[in-house]
Amino acid sequence: MLMQASSGLERLMAGNRDGVLKDSTVAQISAYLYYNANVIAKLTKNKQFQSVFSETIFNQIQKDFGEYIDAKARTSPRSLHHVYEWKKVGNKGARLFELSLMSQDGLSFRIGTSFKPSRSLVPLSGGTKRRHVFINKASVMEAGMPLKISPKNATRLVFESDGETVFMPKGASVVVKRPGGPGVKNQYFLAHSRFFTGQLVNQSIKNSGFQRIFNAGMAKALSLPSGIKKVQYKFSPNLVRSQADAALATAFGGVL
Amino acid sequence: MTANFKLDAMLELRKFLWNELKTRNIFDEDDYWSDNLNENIIPIVPVQQTAEMNQFLSGKKHIVYDKIGMSYEDNWMICCEQILFTIYSTDFSEINEIRNFMTDQFRRMDESARDVNYWSGLSDKFKFFSIFVADISPTAPSEELQGFFSAEVILEIKYSRILDGQGRFL
Repeated sequence: MLMQASSGLERLMAGNRDGVLKDSTVAQISAYLYYNANVIAKLTKNKQFQSVFSETIFNQIQKDFGEYIDAKARTSPRSLHHVYEWKKVGNKGARLFELSLMSQDGLSFRIGTSFKPSRSLVPLSGGTKRRHVFINKASVMEAGMPLKISPKNATRLVFESDGETVFMPKGASVVVKRPGGPGVKNQYFLAHSRFFTGQLVNQSIKNSGFQRIFNAGMAKALSLPSGIKKVQYKFSPNLVRSQADAALATAFGGVL
Repeated sequence: MTANFKLDAMLELRKFLWNELKTRNIFDEDDYWSDNLNENIIPIVPVQQTAEMNQFLSGKKHIVYDKIGMSYEDNWMICCEQILFTIYSTDFSEINEIRNFMTDQFRRMDESARDVNYWSGLSDKFKFFSIFVADISPTAPSEELQGFFSAEVILEIKYSRILDGQGRFL
């Protein structure tokens, strides 16, 4: 879009040396704008740059978001225990959630979140002998989905409730209305939306340091080449474009 | 000379906060007298100690805090930390009072840091550069403590330990 718009300047850069008045102003201002437009457009369209841009910011957001949820979970374990392995609430290594970098359009990108399968054994409670893994622990508890537990290998379910051992009839199942307790439903998504709609995500972008790197590189690339600074009546669009390429390569080094 | 590695900026900030909350009569320290310990307990507790404090703090307003994360800037002398404070009270208006005080006290960046630096109770091993409120949550019924309301305030602090000529903690 920017390249398309700036192409209109090419005509003005050609200058008019045949008239009575010889004025370099229009051609020179056009060349200046044309150069800046090229630098910005080439940079934002560059796939490698887009990738560095999104990954730098995403990595910081991922770190900060993880630490935010960890701290929240330590403070409010009843609300967020389900997004960690059993008995490891707030532990970075036991997280059952993750962020992922999704679609990218120019310098805009989307971040998604998903739950990982649990791999640890459900802690034994009184009366229980068989160990098992509740694979979809995080997603089921987050959604507040009722759970139906049926005997699979044994003929009946035996478990402890309020200190008493309960023997279920043969083949009968049990429904757990609120797995994970009443306080977990939607709590991860609430915390997620708090992070991404408040100031925390902005702070994270700032902390990524990308702004500083980007600004320094941009200032360098946008610094006008001496050829455009010099008074001329005509400027070659090809030359200005190649100067923009060269300036970007110098300013952003290996990124481009 | 060995530095005191037990000193922590978060603990210094907690001391400052408690002093301000007492001075402004937002908390009455006599409400937190412990007969067992024969002293007042500061009701701003680290999350790691909440289990043992639950009974003592039952029904009383209190604050639980935890460090979200810390990192050093390119200038390795400056440390950046985020601290999460969760305010609990059975009274909605008390939470708002504490939250509003914290906002007023800590949102002014350099000015907020200056207040802490000028406080006589601060360890002379720290210098704060900026403090600001990174996030505030609305007050809502707590999922953790039955009958309590809660709200969260996240502060971001930038500070440095006072260093010797080799850049080590004094």
